[in-house]
Amino acid sequence: MGRQRIGYFEDLQDPEHICSRCHMCELICTFHHHQVGNPKRSRIRLISLDKGMDVPVTCLNCEDAPCMNICPTGALYRPESDGMVTVKEDLCIGCAMCVNACPVGAITLDPVDGVALKCDLCGGDPQCVDYCPANVLKLTDAERFARHRMRGFVKSLQASGEEG
Amino acid sequence: MSIFAGGYAGQILFVNLTDGSIQVKPLDRAFALNYIGGRGFSSRILLDEVKPGTDPYGPDNVVVIAAGTLSGTPTPSSGRLVVAAKSPMTGGLGDANSGGYWSPELKYAGFDAIVIRGTSKDPVYLWIEDGRAELRPAQHLWGQNITETRQLLKEETGDDDIHICAIGPAGENLVRYACVATDEEGVGGRCGIGAVIGSKKLKAVVVRGSLDVRIADPERFKKMLEAYRETLAGEVWTETLRRLGTPNLTAHRQSHGIWGAKNFQRATIEDYEPISGENFRKKFLMKPIGCMGCLVRCKRYSAVKDGPFAGIYTVGPEYETINALAAKPYITDPAIVLRAHYLCDEYGLDEQGVGSTVAMAMELYERGLLTKEQTDGQELVFGNSEALLYFIDKIAYRKGFGDLLAEGTKIMGERLNADYYAIHIKGLEVDATDPRKQVTRALTYAVATRGACHLRGNPYIDEFIKPEEAEAYFGTAAVSDIEALEGKGKMVAWSEDWVTISDQMGLCKFAWYRSRSFPMLIKRGLELAKEAFTSATGLPMTNEKLYECGERVYNVEKLFNVRQGIGREGDYPPARFFEEELADGPAKGCKLDREEYDRLLDDYYEARGWDKKTGEPTKEKLRSLGLK
Repeated sequence: MGRQRIGYFEDLQDPEHICSRCHMCELICTFHHHQVGNPKRSRIRLISLDKGMDVPVTCLNCEDAPCMNICPTGALYRPESDGMVTVKEDLCIGCAMCVNACPVGAITLDPVDGVALKCDLCGGDPQCVDYCPANVLKLTDAERFARHRMRGFVKSLQASGEEG
Repeated sequence: MSIFAGGYAGQILFVNLTDGSIQVKPLDRAFALNYIGGRGFSSRILLDEVKPGTDPYGPDNVVVIAAGTLSGTPTPSSGRLVVAAKSPMTGGLGDANSGGYWSPELKYAGFDAIVIRGTSKDPVYLWIEDGRAELRPAQHLWGQNITETRQLLKEETGDDDIHICAIGPAGENLVRYACVATDEEGVGGRCGIGAVIGSKKLKAVVVRGSLDVRIADPERFKKMLEAYRETLAGEVWTETLRRLGTPNLTAHRQSHGIWGAKNFQRATIEDYEPISGENFRKKFLMKPIGCMGCLVRCKRYSAVKDGPFAGIYTVGPEYETINALAAKPYITDPAIVLRAHYLCDEYGLDEQGVGSTVAMAMELYERGLLTKEQTDGQELVFGNSEALLYFIDKIAYRKGFGDLLAEGTKIMGERLNADYYAIHIKGLEVDATDPRKQVTRALTYAVATRGACHLRGNPYIDEFIKPEEAEAYFGTAAVSDIEALEGKGKMVAWSEDWVTISDQMGLCKFAWYRSRSFPMLIKRGLELAKEAFTSATGLPMTNEKLYECGERVYNVEKLFNVRQGIGREGDYPPARFFEEELADGPAKGCKLDREEYDRLLDDYYEARGWDKKTGEPTKEKLRSLGLK
C-alpha cells in the first residue's frame, strides 16, 4: 500500500453516497483529538459552496510535502512508521508558513493552542471514516483513489452508452 | 471561564435595541439545572420579562434566541435552535425551532442564549464573535431576500464561515407569519417570530465562533455516542427518513385519509402521485442533507432541472411544505410546489401560514364570500397555482389583497365575517394532518402551548405501546388500545413533557424522539439524552429529574398563556372538526364529538394538575415543580 490518506469517495450516480453536509467528520475529529466540540480545530474541514456542493478537505499526504519542506523548525516531519506528515507540537512556533504552502489548505493553525493542525489518521483508525453517515470517507492511497475515479469515469461512459 | 465543566458556553448575551447597549451575563447554575437550555431558557425568560398585554410588535416584547444544551458538542442531531417571543399570531407564547448549523455556532461564539429587548430606530444587525458582540448598521440589507442578505454579509465581512440568522422582506413588512431563516438549511417557521424581529428593525444575527464547547467526561460521552449510534442501526424510521425525508409522510396521509386538503374539505388527494415523497425523490433529489452531526439526514437538497422553473436549487421540501403548498391549496404540480417553497424561503414566510391562508381565501372565493374585485382580479379557486405564486409575492410586500392574507386565517376570518373557515388553534394554523380521525391527535394540537402544533407532543404512542408497558407507565393497559379514551390525557401530557426535553437539549425530534418501540423512546429520549447531558455538562441528572424539567417548562408556558389571557377556550380544535365529517377516503365520516373532547380535555387537565375551568396550573402543581 502506498502513502495513506483520507479520500472522498462520492458516487455521483447515487444521492445517498455524496457528502451530506452533516459536519460529523469535523465534530468527531475535534472530539477525538481535543475532547471538545469545535469544528475550527478539526483536521478535516467541510467546504460548502452553492448548488449543494459539499466536499470535506483534508491532508493529501503529498509525496514531496511542501508543508514539511517549508517548516523552519522541523516541527513537521514524517516518521517512517505510517508515512503521514506529523506535527511535533513543542517545536511548532505557529508561523503558519505550512498553512501558506499547502496546496489544498489542509493545514490550519489551532485557534486555541496556536500550533499547526493536520490530519494524523488517528493513528490508523480514522474517526471521520468510522462516523461518516454517507460512507464517503475512506482510508486510501493514491492508487486506490485513482481506481475509484477511473471506475466513476467508466460508469459514466456506460450510462451514456445506454442512453445513446 | 465558565462555571460549567462542559456543554454550556456559560454566558447569556443581553441586547437592548432601543439604546444600543450590550451586556454579557454568566449563566446561573440553578437556572441551567431547572430549565436545561433551548426552549427551557426561552420560555422561562419570556415568562419573567413579558408582561400581560404587551404589544407583540412593541419595544417591550422580548426575543430570546436559545441554543440547545447539547448544541456544539458532537452529540448527533443536537444542533437545534429556539427563537421565541410573544407571538403576534396567538398573543401567547410563540417559538420557532430550526435545525442546521447556527445553534452550535452560537455556542462556539461563547453564548448559550441571546435576549433581545427594545426597538432600533434604524435597521441593524447583530455581530457576535468569540464572546464579543456589536450592533452594526443594516440599511443596505433592509429589503433584501434571504439569499442576498447572506451573500452581502459574507462579502462585507470577507468571511464565508459566518452563520447567519436573518429575516426576509416578510419579516420587515410585519407579515404576521414571517419566519426566521438560519443559514441555507434551517427555518424557524412558526408563530411569526420573524415579524417580531422585523418590528425591532433587526435584520440579522451573525455569528462566528472558534471557542471550545467542552465535554466534562469524554469517556462517558463517547459511550453515549456509541450507544446512540447502535440504536439507529435497527431503526426502520431512520432508513425511511434518509430515503424520502419527511415527505415519506405523504403516503401515510393519503392512505389514512388525513391530509387536511382544500382547507380541510378533503381528506385525500385525487391526483396524489405527483406530490408523493417518492416522486419528489425521483424527480428532484440531489442528495440528503444532515444538520450538524446528524446520522439520519432527513433534509433534502433538491434541484429543478427542467421546465419553466429550471435552475431552482433549494433545501427541501419537507412534508409540511407539501401539506401547506400542495394539499391545502390543492395544487399537484411538484415543480410549482418547489417554486412556491423557494419563494417562501427567500421572502422569509412560514409556508404553513401562506398555504393555510391562501387555501382559506380559495374556499371563501368558491363560496362567494370573496369576490374577484377583492382578490386583485385573481380567480382564487383551488388548484390555481398561478394565483398561489402571485399572492406569495403580494403577501411578502403586503400589496393589494396580499395585505389581508398577510394577517393569517384568524384575522382574515374576523375581518370577512368568516371565522368558521379559519382553521387555526389560538391563532396558529393547523398543520401536519387532519385530526378528526383521532381525538388524541386533536387534543395534542389543541392544547399545544404555541398554538396548533404536531411537534409539542406525541399522541401516536397508543399505536405501538404494549399493554404491559402502558400499565407500567400510565397506570392502565387501556392506553395501548387506540380506540379507548382511558389514560389518554395522561399519555398526551407525558408525551408533551418528554418531547419538551428535546427542545431544551437541542435534540432533533426525528433522530431522537421517533420510534415504533416504546422502550426505544425511553432509551433514546430519556436515558441517552440524560447521559449526553450529564457527560457533557458534568451536572448531576436522573431520568426522573430530566422528565420533571420538561414538565416544569410546559407549566411555565401554560402560565405564560393564562396570564396573557388564553384560558380553556384556547384549547379547542376549530369548529369545522366538530361540525363536518371527513368527506372522502378511508376515514370518511369521522368527526370530533364535543362531549367526548370535553371529557378528554378534563382528563388531560386532571393529569396535568391544571384547573378544569381556567386551564391554569394549580398552586400545588406549581409548588411541586418549584415554581413559587
